Amino acid sequence: MFFLKEETKIITMHPSYFGPNMREFLIARLNEEEEGRCTGDHFVICVMDMVDVGEGRVVPSNGCAEYTIKYRAIIWKPFRGETVDAIVTSVKPTGIFTLAGPLSVFIARKNIPSDIKWEPNTVPPQYTDHADQVIEKGTSLRLKILGVKPDVAAINAIGTIKEDYLGPL
Amino acid sequence: MQLRLPPSLHYPITVTSLLKKEGDTVERDEAIFWYKYQTVVEEGDGMGGTAYVTRDFPTRFESPVDGTVEKWNIAKGDVIEEPTDIVLIEEPCAHEVQFGGMCAECGKDMTEATYNTEISETYRAPIQMTHDNTTLTVSAREATRVEEDAKRRLLGSRRLSLVVDLDQTIIHATVDPTVGEWMSDQDNPNFEALKDVRSFQLVDDTPGARGCWYYIKLRPGLEEFLENVSELYELHIYTMGTRAYAQSIADLIDPTRKLFGDRILSRDESGSLTAKNLQRLFPVDTSMVVIIDDRGDVWRWVANLIRVVPYDFFVGIGDINSSFLPKKQEIPTPRKPKAVMEKESAAEVPGSNGLAEKTGPSEEVSALEQLVTMGGGDDPRLLQEQTDAQEETIMHQVEDRPLLQKQKELDADEESSGESNDLSLSPDEGHDTTRPRHHLLVDYDTELYQLQDRLEEVHRRFFEEYDRLRASSLGTRVSALRGEKAASKDKDVDLRLVPDIKNIMPAYKSGVLGGVVIVFSGVIPLGQDLQNAEMSLWAKSFGAVIQKNINKRVTHLVAGRNRTAKVREATRWPNIKIVTTQWLNECLIKWKHLDEEPYLLQVHPNDRAEVLSPGSREMMEKSWPSSEDEALDGSEEEELSGEAAGLFESTPLSYDLDDQAAVHDELKEFLGSDDESESDTEVWSEDNPDSSRKRKRGEGNGTDEESGDDQDSELENEGSRLSQRIKRSYARTTGLKEVAIAENPSEETVETRFEEGSFPAPDDHDDGADVTDTGEGTPGAEAGQLEVPSDIVADESDVDDFEREMMAAFDEPDEPGSSQS
Repeated sequence: MFFLKEETKIITMHPSYFGPNMREFLIARLNEEEEGRCTGDHFVICVMDMVDVGEGRVVPSNGCAEYTIKYRAIIWKPFRGETVDAIVTSVKPTGIFTLAGPLSVFIARKNIPSDIKWEPNTVPPQYTDHADQVIEKGTSLRLKILGVKPDVAAINAIGTIKEDYLGPL
Repeated sequence: MQLRLPPSLHYPITVTSLLKKEGDTVERDEAIFWYKYQTVVEEGDGMGGTAYVTRDFPTRFESPVDGTVEKWNIAKGDVIEEPTDIVLIEEPCAHEVQFGGMCAECGKDMTEATYNTEISETYRAPIQMTHDNTTLTVSAREATRVEEDAKRRLLGSRRLSLVVDLDQTIIHATVDPTVGEWMSDQDNPNFEALKDVRSFQLVDDTPGARGCWYYIKLRPGLEEFLENVSELYELHIYTMGTRAYAQSIADLIDPTRKLFGDRILSRDESGSLTAKNLQRLFPVDTSMVVIIDDRGDVWRWVANLIRVVPYDFFVGIGDINSSFLPKKQEIPTPRKPKAVMEKESAAEVPGSNGLAEKTGPSEEVSALEQLVTMGGGDDPRLLQEQTDAQEETIMHQVEDRPLLQKQKELDADEESSGESNDLSLSPDEGHDTTRPRHHLLVDYDTELYQLQDRLEEVHRRFFEEYDRLRASSLGTRVSALRGEKAASKDKDVDLRLVPDIKNIMPAYKSGVLGGVVIVFSGVIPLGQDLQNAEMSLWAKSFGAVIQKNINKRVTHLVAGRNRTAKVREATRWPNIKIVTTQWLNECLIKWKHLDEEPYLLQVHPNDRAEVLSPGSREMMEKSWPSSEDEALDGSEEEELSGEAAGLFESTPLSYDLDDQAAVHDELKEFLGSDDESESDTEVWSEDNPDSSRKRKRGEGNGTDEESGDDQDSELENEGSRLSQRIKRSYARTTGLKEVAIAENPSEETVETRFEEGSFPAPDDHDDGADVTDTGEGTPGAEAGQLEVPSDIVADESDVDDFEREMMAAFDEPDEPGSSQS
C-alpha cells in the first residue's frame, strides 16, 4: 500500500557547496539518497517536498554543515493480502520469480493453478495451460502477496496466483 | 512429520496422559501430553537441616509444529528411556520450498525461533538448486522431484545435461585495451586474427575497473559446436565470472537463448569462490551430467568431467576470472598444431624442451599454497584479498597491456633474428618466417571439433547402455505381464534403469591408456605429490598407472627434459618407450592411444645405455635398487657429507688395476646416467682439455643441428638448467663440486641428488672393492651392489675416455689422507 509519510533526515554538506544554490544541492542530495531506498520495511518511491530544512549547523573540526531536513515522501509498504501487478523475471520448475516494482515476489508451484503446467521444452521455458494462459519471462501477472519478509536492504515476498482474477494479464 | 523426543529431556520419563486424540488439530507450542520424571532434590526438613529426596515432577510436552495428530506411538503409562518417535503429526505445509526465509507455499516466517524450537525451520529446505537465485531453497524431497522431472524429460528427448565452463573453455577473454586498438588498426599484423573478437562493456563489476571493455574471442567452431551439442545435451553455464559477465557472454554466444536459456550459474550464486560443485545444480543425482572445463582441480576431478585443453588465444592473459581459484599447476600445452611443432623440433632437437621450460619454475605453485587457497574459502579476509587480487589482475591488464609488450618483444626478436638470419632457432617464430611482420595472436585451436566427437561418443554409449538395460528389463516384464501392458510401459521412462555417466565415461576413458604404466621425468616439480599432480590425475582418469620409478612393468617414460637419469635408465629397457610430454598431452586431448613413433624422445647418444638382456634384467630386478632408493642413499650420503666431499679430494690413489676397472664400471653407471656427469667430467679434465673437448664436440654433432665450435654457445642452446650448472662449474676451478651443489639442494632433482651423493662411492672401494660384499654399513655399500650385473659394460672407447678423465681427476688432489675405512 502507498503512503505519504513525513520523515526526517540529516544531511551533511561539504563547505564547497555553501552558497546561493545550497537549497538545490540539498534537494538533489535528498533525492539521490532517499528515492528508491529500501528500509527493509518499505520502499521510498518518491520524495515530494521538503517541509522544513532547518538551520544548518557547522560541525566542529571539519567545517561541514549538518542539515536536519523534514520531508514528505511517497512510500510503498507491501502487505500480506495485497494484490499487485508484477513482471515475470524467470520461470523455474519450482516456481515463478517476479518483480513488482522493487519487490521480488516468488510464486511457488503450489500456488499456481494446477491446470497451468511447467513446460520446459519451449524456448523460453514457460508455465502454460495449453490455452490462452502463458507465463514466461516478461509476462505481466496479477498476484496476491502471501507473506512479506524484510531483509537487510530488500524485501522478499511470496505470492499466489491460485485465486480468482489472478494470473497473467 | 514424525515428532521425536529431544535428547535434552530428563530420561527416563513416564507418560501420564495424552492430551490429544488421533485426528485432533495441534497448534504450535500447544501441550500434547503430560509426563513425569524423577530427580533428586535438596529439601529442607523444617528443622533447619537439609535432606536429599527423590521426587516426581509432572511436565507438559509441547508440540513444535502445527498440524493434526495422525498416530500416537506412545500410550499412557509408558516409560521412555531414550529419545524415540512419539507421534506423527500431519502438517498443512511441510515448508519444502522456502524463499528468503519464508515458506514459499504458506508464506510463514521460517526464521522465527521460540523456546520450543529444536531445529530451525530453515533446515527443512537446505538445498539451493536454481541457477540464478540463492534466496530460494528447497527440501531434499522437492529437489528429487524436480530433478526426476527433468530426467524424465531429458530421457524422453534422449539428451543429457552438459555443464559448460566459459573462460578458456569455450571463449577467451581479456581486458587488455591493446586488443581494441589492434582491432581498429587495419595495418596491424594481428588484425586478421582479431576479426571475430567481440567486445562488451561492463559497468558495475569491480570497482577498480569501472566500465572497462572486455574482449572476447570465441573458440573456433563454437557456434557450430553448441548448435550440434545442444541436440544431444541440455546446456548449462557454470562460470567463475560475475553474473553480469556471464550474462554478457551468454548474449554473445547465444543471443536467442535457445541453447542456454537462463541456465546460467555465476560466481555470485555459486556459493563457493574456490571450487565448483555439481551438487549446486544437481543436488540429488549427477548420473546424467557431463562437465567440460579447462580446470580439473576446481571440480576435484569428478568422474563427470571432461577436461579440455585451455583455450589460450590472447597469449599470456590466462583466465581473467581465476583469482579466486587455487593457482593452476602449469601443464605446458602446445599452442601450435603438431605439424608446426614437428617442424620446429626437427629444427632444433630440444624443441619440446624449450616449450616446457618456458612455463618454468616461476609459475609452479607449491602444494601448500594451493591448500591454503583451497581451504580459505570462507575466510572474509582472504576473500577480500582475492577480490583485490582480481581487481589487480584487471587493472594490471588494462594498464600494463601485456599483449602489446609481447608483440613488441616479438617484433624486436624478429628484427634481431632477421639480421642474424637464424630464424629457426626461436621456437616462437619458427612457423611463419615468410610473413613480413609476425603477429602475436594465432588461432590454431581445434579442440572443439574433437570435443564434439567425444561428447557424441559419450552420449551414444550412455543411451546404448540405457537401451540395453531397458530392453532386458522389458523382456522380463513382458514375459511376466504379457505384451500389451509392456507396450504401454515402453513410453514410460524408468528412472531406476538410468545408467550412470560416472561409470560410463570412466569406463570409456580408461580404455584409452589402459595398460599404460607411466613414469614421469622432468615433468612434475620435485616438491609436488606425484600422484596428485594435475598431469597425473588427468592421465589416471584415462586408465594410465603412474609410477615413481622405472621397473619392468613400466611401458612409457614421459620426459619433460632430455638427458635425465630416468631417461638414461629407461634406455636399458627395450619395452619402455621414451616419449615427450607432448605424446601424453595429445593422447589425453584426443582420447586415443596415439602411436608413439612421432613423439619419441631423441635420446642423447651418450645417454643410451646398453639394453638389458632378459636374463640380466631379472638379476636387476633382484639386486638393482630403484633410482628412488639410490636417490635416498645419495641424500643420506650427502648428509654425512661435508666429510665425504672432502674425502674425495684427499683420498690417496692406491688402486691396483683391478680396483680401477671395478671402480670405472661403477662410476660409469652413475656418471653416465645424468647431465651432471657431463659437467663434472668437464671440470675434472680441465688439465686435459683435449679429451674433454673432443668428447664435447662429439656430443654436439650428435644432437644439435648446428655444430657450434664454441662450447658455450652450444650449451646455451639447450637453454636448461643443465647449461647453467655447467657454466657454474666452469667458473670454478676446485674439485669441491659436491659442496657447491649442495648449497641449494631444493633446486636439484632427485636424479641429480643421487648423482652427487654417489661421488664418494669410489673411495669406499679402496679397501678391496669387493663387489659382492654388501654387508658393510658404509655409505657406499648400496653403490657397491650396483656392480653385480657387471656384464653391463659399455663400449671400450667410452671406458678409456673415462679412465683418462678419472686419472686426471684423481691426480688433482694433492693432500693425501683418508678419514674412511
